Amino acid sequence: MKNEVWKKKSLIWDFAISDLKNRYRNSVLGFVWTLLEPLFILLVLYVVFTNIFKSSIEHFPLYLLLGLIMWNMFVRGTQLALNSIHSRGQVLSQIHIPPEIPSISSSLTSLFMLTFEMIVFAIFLVVFHFLPPITAIILPLIIGLEFILVLGISLPLSVLNVRFRDTQFIWTVIIQAGFFLTPVFYKIDILPKQVQNILVFSPMVQILNFAHDAMLYGTLPTSENIVIAIGTTFVILLIGYAVFRRLSHRIIEEL
Amino acid sequence: MEELAISLKNVTKNFRIYHEKRNSLYEIITGFFSKGRYYEKLCVLDNVSFDVKKGEMIGIIGRNGMGKTTLLRLMAGIYKPDAGSITVSGSIIPFLGLGAGFQAEMTAKDNIILYGKLLGFSKKEIEEKVGDIIQFAELEKFQDTKLKNFSSGMYARLAFATAIQVDPEIILIDEILAVGDIGFQQKSHEAFLSFKKRGKSIVVVTHDLNTIKQNCDRAIFLNDGKIQALGEPDKVIKAYTSYFAGLQK
Repeated sequence: MKNEVWKKKSLIWDFAISDLKNRYRNSVLGFVWTLLEPLFILLVLYVVFTNIFKSSIEHFPLYLLLGLIMWNMFVRGTQLALNSIHSRGQVLSQIHIPPEIPSISSSLTSLFMLTFEMIVFAIFLVVFHFLPPITAIILPLIIGLEFILVLGISLPLSVLNVRFRDTQFIWTVIIQAGFFLTPVFYKIDILPKQVQNILVFSPMVQILNFAHDAMLYGTLPTSENIVIAIGTTFVILLIGYAVFRRLSHRIIEEL
Repeated sequence: MEELAISLKNVTKNFRIYHEKRNSLYEIITGFFSKGRYYEKLCVLDNVSFDVKKGEMIGIIGRNGMGKTTLLRLMAGIYKPDAGSITVSGSIIPFLGLGAGFQAEMTAKDNIILYGKLLGFSKKEIEEKVGDIIQFAELEKFQDTKLKNFSSGMYARLAFATAIQVDPEIILIDEILAVGDIGFQQKSHEAFLSFKKRGKSIVVVTHDLNTIKQNCDRAIFLNDGKIQALGEPDKVIKAYTSYFAGLQK
């Protein structure tokens, strides 16, 4: 099975590129939207949290932008995965393609988009005259962990959404809740201690904390948190792959 | 012993025929508490066994809805059998029906490249073959035309040419041969011969009994998910036509 995916690996790339192209087809600004989208959301949140709620976070605009970019990768990756098998039904019922490929490539698409958005972040660093501390070099590792997490959730979502079309609506609700339960625009320590104790087991909470600390405050994650983050991510990947294997058997007939 | 390209042993495939397809979770939950199963099992292939030898061309005939296309899809690995085993030796099997993975909005050339990639070739490998494929399909003038403007004959020629020029070990064809004109049919006959000569195998599903008579080494008559007749094309065609004569009485 793995071997087959490897043999058709160039397809992963092609699907990811075509996902990107489809996203901006018929739009005048095209790829510029990848950069504008987070900027507009940033603007809204920035106005709300500096004027109305008065956030006391140090380097708040950068904190917010980095959080949004990292969170967006999670949202886009999993949402693209929801329809990744469904939208390719015609091709998949004519040619044998390993069913892992659509969700691997949608995860890759979200990684591409994160890379574009990081360009915006770099521009912001210059605008705010902020030189990231040396700990920023671990950012690619954090993004790598997030990619594994996105993949671990995308695999089961892609087949679940073929079998049960409600999956997409349920997932939208989960994503909404997740946005408020993840430190994108606040710091985790403003929450009650009991809630914090539960949220440490959310890999996205850990990933955002790692990114903020390393990129803006020069702090490396504690070894305890590293173990929790990697552990939960791989548990999700294992469970996700098990669900995927169970459901992918008849998936083409269900399309 | 002769080398085998595909070997099917006691293959059974069931489909679920949903009376009311329950796609949403709510329907599944409410259905769980109501009585009765909400789908029936339809046995499309029942304990089917046969071999395809290397360098052989086999034709499959049968009435509509008797499992011919399902059989091809099983061989191509698109469907998984519910029981039995399918062994395929030889790397690639394009499953080829009208519209197999082709995109109407793309040009003929781009479609060939996409199709080759779907079959697992690298871009470089397939780009080297594009010229040959276009030439074989006699579509030199139309290589940059979008596929939506193609006639069904041109479409079939392009699909067939792509499959045969990509040069797989085994080729599976579903109902597209009768579309070309006489000249193209002659050409495809020759292509089949040279293909077979190189030890490669072809499985073809068609209603065109002439194709079977002229090209195939053996034929299979599939009825109600079972093999009704297997062997010399002439004999199998006879069994098929006499079965139809029996139906009309």
